Amino acid sequence: MSSAVSSILVIGAGQAAAVAVATLRDQGFEGRITVVGDEAHAPYERPPLSKAVLAAVEAEEPSISVKEENFFPTRNIDLRLGLEVVSLDPAAQQATLSDGAVVDYDRCLLATGGTARTLPGLAPEAPQVHYLRTLDDARRLRNALRSARRAVIIGAGFLGLEIASTARTMGVEVSVVETADRVLGRVVPETFSNWLQARVAASGARLYLGQSITDLQLPADGVHVSLSDGTTLEGDLIVVAVGLSPTTALAKAAGLELNASNGGIEVDALCRSSVANIFAAGDCTSRQHPGHGSLRLESWQNANEQARIAACAMLGIDTAAAAFPWFWTDQFDCNIQMLGLPAPDLEYIVRGSMSPDDTNPKFIMLGLQGTVPRHALAVNAGGDLRALRAVLEKEIAIDAAGFSDTSITMKAYSKALLTSAAS
Amino acid sequence: MTTWIKIAQVGQVDEDESLAIELDGKQLALHHTEGEYFVTDNVCTHQYALLSDGYIEDGCVECPLHQAQFDLRTGKAMCAPATEDIKVYEVKTEGDDILIAL
Repeated sequence: MSSAVSSILVIGAGQAAAVAVATLRDQGFEGRITVVGDEAHAPYERPPLSKAVLAAVEAEEPSISVKEENFFPTRNIDLRLGLEVVSLDPAAQQATLSDGAVVDYDRCLLATGGTARTLPGLAPEAPQVHYLRTLDDARRLRNALRSARRAVIIGAGFLGLEIASTARTMGVEVSVVETADRVLGRVVPETFSNWLQARVAASGARLYLGQSITDLQLPADGVHVSLSDGTTLEGDLIVVAVGLSPTTALAKAAGLELNASNGGIEVDALCRSSVANIFAAGDCTSRQHPGHGSLRLESWQNANEQARIAACAMLGIDTAAAAFPWFWTDQFDCNIQMLGLPAPDLEYIVRGSMSPDDTNPKFIMLGLQGTVPRHALAVNAGGDLRALRAVLEKEIAIDAAGFSDTSITMKAYSKALLTSAAS
Repeated sequence: MTTWIKIAQVGQVDEDESLAIELDGKQLALHHTEGEYFVTDNVCTHQYALLSDGYIEDGCVECPLHQAQFDLRTGKAMCAPATEDIKVYEVKTEGDDILIAL
């Protein structure tokens, strides 16, 4: 099969695209690779956009390239930036670009990512309105934050909270508005939300939970936001962080099946779409996760994993299944990691102290289904969480008392569990 | 001539564990795995984090923050998000002493 593949087109030039083409070359594919991206930048890592890039002074912006500068030419990859694919013809196996060029392919990978979900009345073009998805967005927001005194952030998900955290370190007064009654409500238990909310408050940022926007004014010098409880917030700028819309217009026009509930491009475990020879990877995809239904996993890890899998599948090469879901966020001086997927029926146990007064908190919460761990949350305990990974992967039952006993290291505890499960 | 400096004692670091060490203002990590000792820089090249708080598997140490991996023998950055290698130091044991060459 792989002998028949002589040209591969990658649409999108983000994390997944870069990892996919690197995998193709590493797997020995010598044919033509074309990558088309609508941004002006070569593939870059998005996680730092809300953190190090946002906080940086312009001259010292950290390098966030996924691959070193000469990677694309040296690996003979035709990287075409600042261009869109205007149509994709699955029958003819060719794409037409916005500059009129036509690119044929034997295999096509859609790594189109997504765009920030917008709110009505908050057009991204307005000078005081900000969304954060791209490097250019981050630079624009950085410039605005540097001269701002007060910022209003809509959305207390991961991105909204990361921006709030960074804005606080820049000395900006921050108000965060969230419609749900707690932060990260869909992915963490209430006790964790409470802990994080205390952490947010301690930074000086103000949280407005369970609030919707009843009125919004954009005077020339800023923004006025009225909330359902009657509060009026004034800011020099407003940042909207209310989620991601997968970029699927091209996929839809080409007849690819999209998920009815989350809008992502339906792919199987090998990242194959519903149309022959077209694959998809990263934020734009939706995939079945046993026990969780169809999910769009918007994570750095998922982009990397699906890229690797899709690249191998396009060449007909076997590769390892996707790694256990893992996610991190850095905010309010904490590294927070999640392993596995949340579910509604989990009961959480804790190792370490969740006291809101700890300056350097360190704890792990483990979500159990009966005695089997399904979901873990770690605060400043990434090494310990890593030790637990095999326990979650292998669905090994644990005892709450043993897990919480900090006189035994997490590595020793996990090792003992794995050893006794294997015997 | 190489100067050897004692940094720890045999038995001080359990198998698959690491120890943070400060020496001449340098942050180092002593790692113990598969019966051998390794010394590397302790700070991840991707973002500030101590590798001694990380995880050892298959001859690599993994950063606790974002799971970048470094080969303990060569210091090579084995996976994203790290792209820059860490420094490794020559290590030997003499009796019960673990020594390194800076």
